[in-house]
Amino acid sequence: MSDASPDTSSRRRLRQARDRLATALITAGGIGVVVAVLAIGVFLALEALPLLWLPSGTETLGLSALAWGTLEAAAWSLVIAVPLSLGAAIHSAMFMSRRLRSRLKPTLELMEALPGVVIGFVAGLVMAPWVERHLGEVFALIVLLPPGLLLAAGLRACLPYRWQRWLPMGYAGLWLVPWLLLVMATALWLSPWLEVWWFGGDLRDWLEQGLGLDVAMRNALVVGVAMGFAVIPSVYALAEEALSGVPSSLAEGAQALGATRWQTLWRVMLPAASPGVLAAVMIGAGRAVGETMIVLMASGNAALMTLNPLDGLQSLAAGIAIELPEADPGGAHYRWLMLAALLLFLFTFLVNTLAELVRTGLRRRYRQLGGNA
Amino acid sequence: MASPVRHRLLAGLLLMAGLFVGSAMADHPTGTLDTVGSDTMAGLMLRWGERLAREHPGLRLQLQASGSASAPPALTAGTTRLGPMSRPMTEGERQAFIAQHGYPPLELVVAKDALVVVVHRHNPLQSLSREELDAIFSVNRRCGGKHAITRWQQLGKGLPEGRIRLHGRNAASGTHGLFRRVALCGGQFRPEVSQHPGSAAVVAAVAEDPRALGYAGLNHLDAGVKRLARRDADGALHWPDAASVASGDYTLARNLYLYVNLPPGESLPAPERAFLELVLSPAGQAVVEALDFVPLPPDVMMRQRQALGLATSAN
Repeated sequence: MSDASPDTSSRRRLRQARDRLATALITAGGIGVVVAVLAIGVFLALEALPLLWLPSGTETLGLSALAWGTLEAAAWSLVIAVPLSLGAAIHSAMFMSRRLRSRLKPTLELMEALPGVVIGFVAGLVMAPWVERHLGEVFALIVLLPPGLLLAAGLRACLPYRWQRWLPMGYAGLWLVPWLLLVMATALWLSPWLEVWWFGGDLRDWLEQGLGLDVAMRNALVVGVAMGFAVIPSVYALAEEALSGVPSSLAEGAQALGATRWQTLWRVMLPAASPGVLAAVMIGAGRAVGETMIVLMASGNAALMTLNPLDGLQSLAAGIAIELPEADPGGAHYRWLMLAALLLFLFTFLVNTLAELVRTGLRRRYRQLGGNA
Repeated sequence: MASPVRHRLLAGLLLMAGLFVGSAMADHPTGTLDTVGSDTMAGLMLRWGERLAREHPGLRLQLQASGSASAPPALTAGTTRLGPMSRPMTEGERQAFIAQHGYPPLELVVAKDALVVVVHRHNPLQSLSREELDAIFSVNRRCGGKHAITRWQQLGKGLPEGRIRLHGRNAASGTHGLFRRVALCGGQFRPEVSQHPGSAAVVAAVAEDPRALGYAGLNHLDAGVKRLARRDADGALHWPDAASVASGDYTLARNLYLYVNLPPGESLPAPERAFLELVLSPAGQAVVEALDFVPLPPDVMMRQRQALGLATSAN
């Protein structure tokens, strides 16, 4: 050992120096990214700052309506996305057969790769006009699909065991498809009668005259559905990760003590994974707040502040996207847009940071519980 | 080792200068004309550019159409000498140019554009008075309407049922500003007006909805929509067409500008000269007409040709 020491020690020193250099470079890169992100915020703040000494009485952009529109669009997309994606995550983490799951996850990831502009195009130019012409059918679908699903569950429970074996839980995702198509067809077929019974023939007239609600072609609901579609994959992926990361000792322990699968899910798995599920929802919210193209193409861009889901809205991101290219740099309008951008930046930054903190806490907890996540 | 390179560079420069002088003398200018500005005028500039390339094969027009607001900074910075704009320069933009160059930019009117109020092609409505239009689109009704108009029934019989769905342009656009200034008497738009990023989008939205009403540039209309006339107090109708816009009878119109960076007392460089010669000629104005903009009245064209030192006998 000792006779080879000068050679090895110099080599070790070289390796140490190389390690140190690599560490320094990586650290510098990390710091650089953080600085760049902060610099965006500082830049926006500096650009928006002159608004403070703008003479009063100059035009305002109506930021409150834009902020409202942003939150409304995000809220509706979460209303659509959260039940679907959490349901899918729970099902695939706990009930689904392993083979089906290995097919489903890549498919959902593919969905995430779909560009927003494509979803927005389909929503704004295909779905919105269809929904507007077939308001009654859409209503029938919304009302009849959930009971239709419950009916399927009830019917399955009533079947004799021999038959149930042909419809295994793990493959519910497959055998429910024809059933759902059947329910949809029934709903579409029934909708004219439903519209006559409940709304005296025309749902839109009933909404406009009976309730005083406007119906715009591109509205918050269309945005919600389209953006929900965009948000589902990321919420699903994170929630599934959180649920399947729960140490298996917990679930096995619960089942060994006689808990049913349902009890294990509600009393053990979900509480254990709840921070991760919350983080998944928050990441989804962050994406929904920052999404531009879908809202731009499907929302109608009317800066309204209403609770009516059938009315148009305008979001911060969409407002910036249409106005900024034409705004006079340095003008009041430009400054307002910079303020809007700063607001948007703060929204998404806060939501995403919070979600990341929650997830880090969760990982630490799993490690303490002996999991390997 | 450095000197041959320097020599070659020098030779290249001389050659280029020679080409430039030669081409200017042969009345066949070559080179690239960079323009930065209005997207409304993009089609117009493109067609002029094509025609220019046909007449002067060595000359190319390069177009960057990212909005009128992009023209003044580019002119001020000197990256372009031609800035097409669908609105006049603001005082601030003009001052910035003067501060940099010491003289104001040369302003040319190259065409006119009109805004048209449109409805769905099956809508039987023919015309709107100035007060009605304002009462439909604005919150504060500065033009003198008594009541807000939100439903089709308030405008007459035989019209669609329900609310009027409003479509317009985004707030930063020149179209939005012009409509606001002229049609709303400077008032405030209703918040429920859907904002679209272009006139074509407004027309598409109106064409797919029988209850829609919108405004768009005259040159973007298609068969899906129907234009409305303005009705005077005595019932006379003013239809938006080239003749009424050119005569000033139809007021919802604007000039389209070309700003040129030209020091006073100097004459235009050959490429710019060739381009403006084309734009301010009957052939150039025929392009304007073909694209459904409104061509300049001959006297305005002549006056501007004189100011530029171009030949004033129409060819």
